[in-house]
Amino acid sequence: MSKAKRQEAFWGYLMVAPTIIGLIVLNFYPFFDTLKLSFAKTLPFGLYKMQGIDNYVKMFSSAEFWKATWNTIYFCILTVPIGVFISLIVAIMLNSKIKGRTAFRAIFFLPMVVAPAAVAMVWKWMFNTEYGIINSVLHAHINWVSNPHIIMITCAIVAIWSAVGYDAVLLLSGLQNISKSYYEAASLDGASKIQQFFHITLPMVSPTLFVVIITRLMASLKVYDIIYMIVEQSNPVLTDAQSLMYLFYRESFVSGNQGLGSAIVIWTVFLIGIVTAVQFVGQKKWVNYEI
Amino acid sequence: MKRLKRMVAVFMMVVLVLALAACGKSSKTKDGKTLLTFQIWDVAQKDGMQAICDAYSKKNPDVKIEVQVTSWDEYWTKLEAAAVSNQMPDIFWMHTNEILKYADYGKLADLTDLYEDENYYKEHFSDVSIANSQGSDGHIYAVPKDKDTVCLVYNKEMFDEAKVSYPDENWTWDDLTEASQKIYDATGKYGYMAYGDDQLGYWNFVYQNGGYILTKDKEKGGFDQKATRDAMKYYINLQKEDWCPDQNYFAETSPGTAFFSGEGAMFLEGNWNLLSEMKNYPDMVGKWDVAVLPKCPNPESGDGRATISNGLGYATSATGKNLEIVKDFLRFAGSEEGQRIQGESGAAIPAYEGLEDTWIKVFDDFDYVIDVQKCVDMFDYSVQSVNNKYRSVWKPKVTEELLKIYSGKVSIDKGLDKINEYINTAKNDE
Repeated sequence: MSKAKRQEAFWGYLMVAPTIIGLIVLNFYPFFDTLKLSFAKTLPFGLYKMQGIDNYVKMFSSAEFWKATWNTIYFCILTVPIGVFISLIVAIMLNSKIKGRTAFRAIFFLPMVVAPAAVAMVWKWMFNTEYGIINSVLHAHINWVSNPHIIMITCAIVAIWSAVGYDAVLLLSGLQNISKSYYEAASLDGASKIQQFFHITLPMVSPTLFVVIITRLMASLKVYDIIYMIVEQSNPVLTDAQSLMYLFYRESFVSGNQGLGSAIVIWTVFLIGIVTAVQFVGQKKWVNYEI
Repeated sequence: MKRLKRMVAVFMMVVLVLALAACGKSSKTKDGKTLLTFQIWDVAQKDGMQAICDAYSKKNPDVKIEVQVTSWDEYWTKLEAAAVSNQMPDIFWMHTNEILKYADYGKLADLTDLYEDENYYKEHFSDVSIANSQGSDGHIYAVPKDKDTVCLVYNKEMFDEAKVSYPDENWTWDDLTEASQKIYDATGKYGYMAYGDDQLGYWNFVYQNGGYILTKDKEKGGFDQKATRDAMKYYINLQKEDWCPDQNYFAETSPGTAFFSGEGAMFLEGNWNLLSEMKNYPDMVGKWDVAVLPKCPNPESGDGRATISNGLGYATSATGKNLEIVKDFLRFAGSEEGQRIQGESGAAIPAYEGLEDTWIKVFDDFDYVIDVQKCVDMFDYSVQSVNNKYRSVWKPKVTEELLKIYSGKVSIDKGLDKINEYINTAKNDE
């Protein structure tokens, strides 16, 4: 390598150093540490001793763990398709020429600005069986927060509500990249609005849609804060609602068993990895990158 | 190349200076005083704690103490992290739930010989208070700060409406259920709200019936004992009565919230919450009062009376930099003067024997004076709050199993067997 080239390489490394160092210190190191801890028996005050695969054996033989895994998947099934669909509808509406469009965009984005804990807190009161506004409007007596069959739907509603604004803004940017001329040409050919949606909008926005689905799915697999705030640990439906991350929290920080907690995290990483890999393979069938 | 070297050198310097600046957490104020940090979790007690610190600083002008509040939920996560990195606050509160863990792992300074008079603790603090401050080795690792009891809070208006006399010392469990039924019939409101909680619930009933949660040596669970099981069954089955809300109700509305919004007539409350409840619900002042816990009418052993008594302590790190100064402050906090300031601030009942009145007097400021003397009366037969070294292992499992019992997923007998097993096997998990 010539001197000039070497110097250039040096400056290149220097420039990316902050990001790389940050990534190593904040992401890689903790990941490998977690991996290590998942094979260890943890004691208080950061002490631990290695013990092999005991944590995994214990984890895979625990009914609570499989229930939490199912709860997490169920939560994804409830939130991702509906949430993304609503976001797309909202994005299309915000993209059309309606009065006060900017105001609506801001309003839909607002839930994203509020802390998730505060969001869940307010919703929890709205869902209260005795005094909640939702039951009083519906003239019903639904145990939103304490019925084991309804609790996940309750959490899903809150999750969708808080995510729609953000996803809609992402999709909106995708929609705005679509040239008007496609629609003009299509209407000259006599295509209806519905046909335009399926043959122009959907293919053209598919790259953005793909990103939205992937990030939403990952976020849903890692759901914690909303469920934690709505379902207290003294709630009888706890096992029917706890997600993997909630179980991780309870094992690591309530029971002080970080080893088992780490094993749960590794399992979640594995799960997210599989889901994401499947999506990347599947995207070839429906995502259109040729604009 | 020379220029490059110089630039790298400058870059490294900047990094180094930044790193040093981050580490250099000074424990001195600008004017050369020693600055100590004091970590607590209760906002309501901040002023009281600061008052003790100020009184100490007045005597020792070269020491300044800063009180910091962290919420209960974060407190223990933070403290453990601080213990790992040897950065614990100079002074902090200790709780019976955690003291054994911290003491047994050598994180707390041994305070057994804090006072020259070796009988100091015994003379001025109750056995329960001292037990709450001990590690597994029997040494004292925290200066007793306060003590508390669990009492029965009742809504006078509902009692009047149902024409039932107020709870008194002679009340038994039978009176409790009878009054609840009458109030429910007359007002349509809930009677006694038997929340599935340990300290503010079934623990009291178990000990009243002569049962126990842990054996004396704290090694084994007591859920295989008839007295414990009977009391548990009694308590759990209360939720089957019309006049008692079920655990689903409590999942959304805590008994305190229900009580102060006029939905129920009675619940068990810790005395440490009473002052803030007087302040937070001004409309309710005069409508409610406090009584001793009802006793068990036919206990397996004992006289049927019991209440769970817990207490906090002031503790410090075993490896603190300012250990001698901190110890001097702890001596002051455990002295009559320090404890009196705490009581008068309304923070809590001082652990120091004979100063209970200072806390009672705080309630004189309200238009209606609730009978907090009852909370103090119960110290005569109070029981130490339940803990052992493995508490953090069994406690979440016990809570979970109890919820299964409440929701009918397992029978009471099977559930209680399982609970006992969790407690007995917790040490294998350690």
